[in-house]
Amino acid sequence: MNLWITLETGLREIAAHKFRSFLSMLGIVLGVSSLIATMSLTNGIERGTKAFMQQVGGLELVTVIGKEISAEMIEFANLSPGRTVQDARAIRASTPVVTEISPEINIGALLSSGPISQRMQVAGAWPDYFGVNRHEIEAGRFLTQLDVDRAAHSVVIGDSILKRFWPNLPAEDAVGRILTINQTPFKVVGVLKVYEREQDKRIREIVKARQQPTSSKSQNRWDPFRRKNESVIIPLSTMFFEYKSGQLPEDSLDSIRLDNLSFRVGDLDRFRETLSKVRNALNITHRGVDDFDLQTREEWFQGMEASISATRLSGGLIAAISLVVGGIGITNIMLASITERVREIGIRLAVGARGGDIFLQILVESVSVAFIGGIIGVAAGFGLIKLLIVIAPSENVPFVSLDSIVISVVFAIIAGVLSGIYPALRASRLDPISALRYE
Amino acid sequence: MALVLLENVVKSYRIGDQEIRALDGINLRIDEGEFIAIIGPSGSGKSTLMHLLGCLDTPSSGRMQLFGRDLTSARADTLAQVRNKEIGFVFQSFNLLPKIDVVRNIELPLLYSGIPAAERRKRAIEVAESVGLGARLGNRPTQLSGGQCQRVAIARALVNRPRIIFGDEPTGNLDSATGEMVLQMFRDLHAAGRTVVLVTHDPDVAAVTKRVIEIRDGKVRREYNP
Ligand SMILES: Nc1ncnc2c1ncn2[C@@H]1O[C@H](COP(=O)(O)OP(=O)(O)O)[C@@H](O)[C@H]1O
Ligand SMILES: [Mg+2]
Repeated sequence: MNLWITLETGLREIAAHKFRSFLSMLGIVLGVSSLIATMSLTNGIERGTKAFMQQVGGLELVTVIGKEISAEMIEFANLSPGRTVQDARAIRASTPVVTEISPEINIGALLSSGPISQRMQVAGAWPDYFGVNRHEIEAGRFLTQLDVDRAAHSVVIGDSILKRFWPNLPAEDAVGRILTINQTPFKVVGVLKVYEREQDKRIREIVKARQQPTSSKSQNRWDPFRRKNESVIIPLSTMFFEYKSGQLPEDSLDSIRLDNLSFRVGDLDRFRETLSKVRNALNITHRGVDDFDLQTREEWFQGMEASISATRLSGGLIAAISLVVGGIGITNIMLASITERVREIGIRLAVGARGGDIFLQILVESVSVAFIGGIIGVAAGFGLIKLLIVIAPSENVPFVSLDSIVISVVFAIIAGVLSGIYPALRASRLDPISALRYE
Repeated sequence: MALVLLENVVKSYRIGDQEIRALDGINLRIDEGEFIAIIGPSGSGKSTLMHLLGCLDTPSSGRMQLFGRDLTSARADTLAQVRNKEIGFVFQSFNLLPKIDVVRNIELPLLYSGIPAAERRKRAIEVAESVGLGARLGNRPTQLSGGQCQRVAIARALVNRPRIIFGDEPTGNLDSATGEMVLQMFRDLHAAGRTVVLVTHDPDVAAVTKRVIEIRDGKVRREYNP
């Protein structure tokens, strides 16, 4: 018997017993919708985490940190100049895989513009700083090599700085304004984008729509992007000449100690190899003194990824259990339906159906039930997620991916096949004579 | 050529430690074009015999040959195929599927013989018209009278162009006028050259046939031509 007819027969049977079919689908509907929901939730968490990882610089970001010198090296400590611009040059020379490298000097300084003054952290940096820290420009431009070469009095500021000193000025109009840093005037050449979490963005949009002042509550919360938004960046050379030279007479731009040195690995497949090249280069500039280390985000990110997998697994397990329960439901109702249809099966056998035809008919029916249940489950899962977004907004907005739809429908079909096998086998083994006689 | 050849066929059932011989050494030959009645009182073994002849079952011992093939110990799938291609059944209780309409009921055997949909439909309609059901194609069996139901069953038995047609008490559930009409249809089938075997306990039904085989206690008691 061809598959199309078998399918049609199965669908007629399902349609003829709508309530019974609905009951047998229910477990699959619940299983699939919970599978969709948990997968969408973890999708949201994963996307949020990935975005966060990117915003904090990604796995490619490596920081050279200072380290306690080991006991046997302590007498050679003076040999090492510490972290300097020389290190940055050495790293750049060591491997082309390091795409960007950012040496930084930080100071606390008094910023002022007109009547407003405030103490803030100021960073002296190379143009690579912006790439390494994943900055994006809102208006104007980043610092350039020319700014560094000329030790220009240019400054790039973050969104919070803009708001503090020119509260109502659009970013474009702030470009060209003067900001004094410890009494030295600097020209604002660029304003950075505002960095915020998805949740804060939505709150801001809602507040904007209602034309209400920002509530102090949301301002007081811990914000992972606060420091990024409070950036004040000037050229490294300018930083040195204005604020660092003359402290020690022998200091030069090349030998001054850096407060931060980080770089970006362009090719993650060559991560380890690149790190060891960098380490070798730094061993030379530090004259063999082990006063530095390379700090990567691997462990931190792996920890985050592990917790996502754990969430995914536990959600999947719950969904799997409900799918098994749903499958058992189908088996039960199929068995009942076969008992009711013994005579029909007898008639089909009498006119020449083989056991295999009957087997297929029952199996197709249970797979159809599961498939329809799966589709309804997908729709219910969609609804559930929509509802969750409204009643429990979170910073990791859940979303239904095509993958999760395909996976859950495939699992529903598998549940349909597995739950149909036993009833189908029972039906196909009926003896035609006793089946015909059955009342 | 012999369509059916039974040699010393025994069919026994075991109930507890007791063996019941429903058929006890049957020898029978049916030739192409015959019109036969198998008659006997209730419990004599008529239905059991028809089940064997109709390939719904196999004998416990002896030899059974149908259409030149030895089917004494054939597998279930082989029997299903023979039923599908060579045999048509008409039952006392019609045995139609209540949830599908007349054409689909008539089509049923063709579903299992791999005939394309258009051809199936064409043949089903042809046969339905030949038994006078042309106007009832879209009706469900529950909307038909007993006589009409039995005509659907006859159409279904004919649709696969079988070499032999079995009727098991085909008039048992019908009033005498309708029964007479159904018997006339079997008579017409015989007249058209088909092989027909009716199983009945009713001598009046047996009387319309050409050869009567009387069964008693699982044995052929006598044979005569009415
Ligand atoms: N499946 C079975 N199991 C046990 N005994 C059976 C079975 N089928 C038939 N019989 C017995 O075989 C005998 C013949 O039955 P059957 O062929 O139905 O007779 P008839 O159709 O002539 O009334 C009866 O005694 C019946 O009880
Ligand atoms: Mg009987």
